[in-house]
Amino acid sequence: MSSLRNAIPRRTHKERAQPHERKKFGLLEKHKDYVLRARAFHQKEDTLRRLREKAASRNPDEFYFKMVNTRMVDGIHRPKSEANKYTPEELMLMKTQDIGYVLQKVQSEKKKVERLNSALHTLDHQPENNHVYFAEDREEVKEIQSRQLEKNDSLASVKVPGRIKKKTAASYRELEARQKRVQGLEKLYSDMALQKELQKSGRKRRLREDEIVQPTSRPVYKWRAERKR
Amino acid sequence: MKGGSRVVVQPHRHDGVFVAKGKEDALCTKNMVPGEAVYGEKRVSVQNEDGSKVEYRVWNPFRSKLAAAILGGVDNIWIAPGTRVLYLGAASGTTVSHVSDIVGPTGVVYAVEFSHRSGRDLVNMAKKRTNVIPIIEDARHPARYRMLVGMVDVIFSDVAQPDQARILALNASYFLKNGGHFVISIKANCIDSTVPAEAVFAQEVKKLQAEQFKPSEQVTLEPFERDHACVVGGYRMPKKQKV
Repeated sequence: MSSLRNAIPRRTHKERAQPHERKKFGLLEKHKDYVLRARAFHQKEDTLRRLREKAASRNPDEFYFKMVNTRMVDGIHRPKSEANKYTPEELMLMKTQDIGYVLQKVQSEKKKVERLNSALHTLDHQPENNHVYFAEDREEVKEIQSRQLEKNDSLASVKVPGRIKKKTAASYRELEARQKRVQGLEKLYSDMALQKELQKSGRKRRLREDEIVQPTSRPVYKWRAERKR
Repeated sequence: MKGGSRVVVQPHRHDGVFVAKGKEDALCTKNMVPGEAVYGEKRVSVQNEDGSKVEYRVWNPFRSKLAAAILGGVDNIWIAPGTRVLYLGAASGTTVSHVSDIVGPTGVVYAVEFSHRSGRDLVNMAKKRTNVIPIIEDARHPARYRMLVGMVDVIFSDVAQPDQARILALNASYFLKNGGHFVISIKANCIDSTVPAEAVFAQEVKKLQAEQFKPSEQVTLEPFERDHACVVGGYRMPKKQKV
């Protein structure tokens, strides 16, 4: 019976969309969307109801440890401080691991810089080195000078398609960005290492401005020499 | 290829040296052994109009003083296709491989290295390149390898020893033809670390001049190496005719 019914072409019913004038309400809500929304709503309602019941049936004489550990300050609940949650050894270990991670990143980034550097030789720029010619007499000096002029004339660069120029420029940008990142990471690493050293035992003090031999903007510490044996 | 080639390779001012522009902006040499890198360097492949492929190897100036000198703008390296080169202080053969690329199948490179450890890499590299002759000997005693080396056009020396000028002179007296050329890289720290680099270079140039060499130019290898210089010149050059 149903197969016969299927044989007759029927009108396809399309899903209704949100009318244009009600676009501001977003997508048109369907029944299954409503079910989800209603469930979530009732769940919240239930939670609130349960909490209210709990509060109403509270025994005022009952004792909880949280009553001692925590308190309300200006109507705001302040949980117990977690300052000493970890022992100093545990804290040191965690710091070491952080430093290790930063160091690893520094090294991997340095490797990438080296890799880029190996294939980016800034060929279009004049090198910043010095070039000395040795001549025996005045004639030779003149000869070298004239050769130098010729060389400068012939330096006119050969044409390179624009898309390739763009690629080269992108490579140089990447190199610069990575170099900057290495610098930042190295600074971070030295700061973290310093903090770790400062937390260790041993008498130390921060040097005054006039005691620092090599001027830097960073703090400099000096440890008291200690006899090991 | 869709969108055209990704890299353009042009010949450099020096014969046998090329410049690749693309994602890289690099000095390179035509690879004699396509498909193989010697020290993990980048390779660049370019398709010609007739469909044949040519491979180039990027030449890292941070690892090669000769590449650093070329980028430093040296006028002549005298190493060109077809020349015979004696290379003192070949180490693992990174630069030697590029020199072998430059001189091509018609030239020859005699690579002298004293250390067995890095000599092993050199020998392995030379197995693939027919124009490299590895010699594991002390460059201070050229008599020990005189049977292996013929007359050469150019001596490249990168030995980093305090008496490197003497070593170069000794080898030149055995193997370098009259009117041949030398390229020597000088590391100031290796010769005298107490005086400024410039003074060391001048002192070395004096020593070379005393040994029948005629230095013609000197470049420092600045962004790539600190306190290094490369001196280029001729050996037993013919006297100029007075007019």
